[in-house]
Amino acid sequence: MLVRAVYKEEKVSRLIMFHARECPHCKAMMPHVDRLEKEQNVQFERLEVWHDEKNADLMRSYRPIIAPKCGGQLRTPTFFCPETSDVLCGEVPYEKLKDWVLKQG
Amino acid sequence: MKKYWRCYVCGDIHFGVKPPEVCPTCLVRNAYVEISSDEAGRTMQPTRTAMTRDEFRPAIEKFAEKNEFEVNPDAAKVETLFDGIFANEQNHGLKYCPCRLRTKDFDEDLKLVCPCNFLVHETYKGKKDGECWCGLFIRRKK
Repeated sequence: MLVRAVYKEEKVSRLIMFHARECPHCKAMMPHVDRLEKEQNVQFERLEVWHDEKNADLMRSYRPIIAPKCGGQLRTPTFFCPETSDVLCGEVPYEKLKDWVLKQG
Repeated sequence: MKKYWRCYVCGDIHFGVKPPEVCPTCLVRNAYVEISSDEAGRTMQPTRTAMTRDEFRPAIEKFAEKNEFEVNPDAAKVETLFDGIFANEQNHGLKYCPCRLRTKDFDEDLKLVCPCNFLVHETYKGKKDGECWCGLFIRRKK
């Protein structure tokens, strides 16, 4: 019997965490991000923005999308999915971050 | 647009859209005259004072004591924030909030200098447990 398996390439959304080295909210979110990566098999790009100008410029380039959803400013931590343009900013409970990640597909 | 103003009596410099009606130092009325940024810079240069990390804490505590907010009693959090504030001053010129990113527009970024005008932020305004975005200042418990 010939069994044919069709594999559909899984599309994985890019998940970015803009964070700052000396931001307490970012520090508080790191364990949530670690846990999500383990439990949901996702990967965040963790981009530090106060000590890395390239990362800072990348975050600035998304300002028209990010700022309106973050009090009009570029705040850390900010979770951002370029594919969906969805944004979550600030220190949030694990479940809220998880829901946001799952929504990105 | 903000401009520089100098009190012709005592030499105080004011940076703002309009000058103070009464000079807060010498109390003379209508004493401010508009000056250039170069003149303001030269006038202030000789008395320029650095503020160390040890001096910053009492400065912001004094600033907070007559207000409805206080410096966060979470010492570890405050130390982390001080690390960021002073790293930003060293690397980027001013005590920018370590939990927001500057835009590179100088006037816009002045809003990020600590202490910022956090009373209008949604993390503070109308909230019983309000705090500034980074958490350095929290609403004082009554």
